[in-house]
Amino acid sequence: MLNIKNVHKSFGNNEILKGVDLSIDKGDVVVILGPSGSGKTTLLRCLNFLEKADQGHATFGEIDVDLHDAKKKDIHAIRQKIAFVFQNYNLFNNKTVLENVIEGLVIGRKVPKKEAIEIGKKALSKVGLSEKYNAYPSELSGGQQQRVGIARAVALNPNIILFDEPTSALDPELVGEVLTVMKNIANEGTTMLVVTHEMSFAKDVANRVIFMDGGVVIEEGSPHEIFVKPKEERTKKFLKRVLPEDYTFYI
Amino acid sequence: MSEGLNYKFLIDTFFVALSGVPVALLVTIVSLLIAIPLAFSLALTRIYRVPFIQRLTQLYVSFVRGTPIIIQIFIVYSSVPLLLTALFKKYHINVDVYNIHPIWYAFIVFSFSTTAVLIEVFRSALSTVSKGQLEAAHSVGLTTFQAYRRIIIPQALVVALPNICTATINLIKATSLGYAMSLQEITLKAKVAANVGYNYVEAYLDIFIVYLILCSVVEYGFKLYEKHLRKYKLANA
Repeated sequence: MLNIKNVHKSFGNNEILKGVDLSIDKGDVVVILGPSGSGKTTLLRCLNFLEKADQGHATFGEIDVDLHDAKKKDIHAIRQKIAFVFQNYNLFNNKTVLENVIEGLVIGRKVPKKEAIEIGKKALSKVGLSEKYNAYPSELSGGQQQRVGIARAVALNPNIILFDEPTSALDPELVGEVLTVMKNIANEGTTMLVVTHEMSFAKDVANRVIFMDGGVVIEEGSPHEIFVKPKEERTKKFLKRVLPEDYTFYI
Repeated sequence: MSEGLNYKFLIDTFFVALSGVPVALLVTIVSLLIAIPLAFSLALTRIYRVPFIQRLTQLYVSFVRGTPIIIQIFIVYSSVPLLLTALFKKYHINVDVYNIHPIWYAFIVFSFSTTAVLIEVFRSALSTVSKGQLEAAHSVGLTTFQAYRRIIIPQALVVALPNICTATINLIKATSLGYAMSLQEITLKAKVAANVGYNYVEAYLDIFIVYLILCSVVEYGFKLYEKHLRKYKLANA
């Protein structure tokens, strides 16, 4: 469904992505792991044109674009198919919870408002926030804000949802509620590409795990392949750092 | 002066001064209507670092901010007629530039100076809205224009409003300098009335009170509007 080839991106002299290929099928839940600075977030942002890649190619269903100089029309078309969940939630501060969720439907996709409200309410009930339609983001906890962020993405009924470290900005006790919501929508068959440091999510929910380091994909495979028998030295080292106990178990 | 204030004159002249309010307000409103969109566009050139234009904008801001309005008035009021005369002569347009109503000069001067003030107001207000808001708007399929109109400007406006209020009040007060161009506004009208019997103290008191009332009303209006706009922030205010 989504194929990307040879994505390059530099910030100044700092080359972040050094030719990344990736392909995702419908219903996949793909988790990207890797140390910070390995280019995971940048890759996600390039896919949604929040960052302009220096080079690269994407095929998305019938749309075929160059990531470096895509036309406005193609960017718009791709954004209609991809939803994004941000690390810092980025809810629209001047809009209520329900308005946040329907904004993209009513304005971006020209869905009639009444219909959009129905969809929005359904999405909010999925993330367990049916009581908060009229609250403003500033009245919500971080976990609640991120669940609204997820509802905003789900309501768009996209072909794929990109999650950029959705739990990194949360207090530890709020991480669980967001992961549960993500697990639920993954179980409904939503295609997801997730950058996260939550190893439990990668192990339990992903059907494919990609390990990135230094701007390239080092290794990819099923969670079992990556966590139990990683082939590459760099993967092993990374896992040893983030999962010290598990690692000793496998020695 | 030995007999104290002339109360009858004080009251009569108050209404004379009051009759200058429409002109003062007209100059204020027209200047704002020109300055707001212009300043907003120029503020965007600063934020997006549009080459050349942003340098020009910077130059313009420091030029206007670095000179007193009264001097700007003198320059416009004395140089524009000369320019126009030359222009009209060249193209054989038969208009007497010295019959042009001074209010047109007032529009020019005050929109120029207000634009310079508002550029900085808008620039700083827009920069308080995090980049993530625009990215989120893009990610749900809004165009940049829609994102600005629906998400970014409403948030920036709340931040900018107190400064826009200050700029508006400064503008209202600055229109009193219009008397230098013989603009029939509050100050000039009261001063002319005072000339007859040398009742300057009364006339100045009247001018004082009229501006005070005018500016207080405008300030109150802005406060109400700000309260209305801020409602989304009340939760954590």
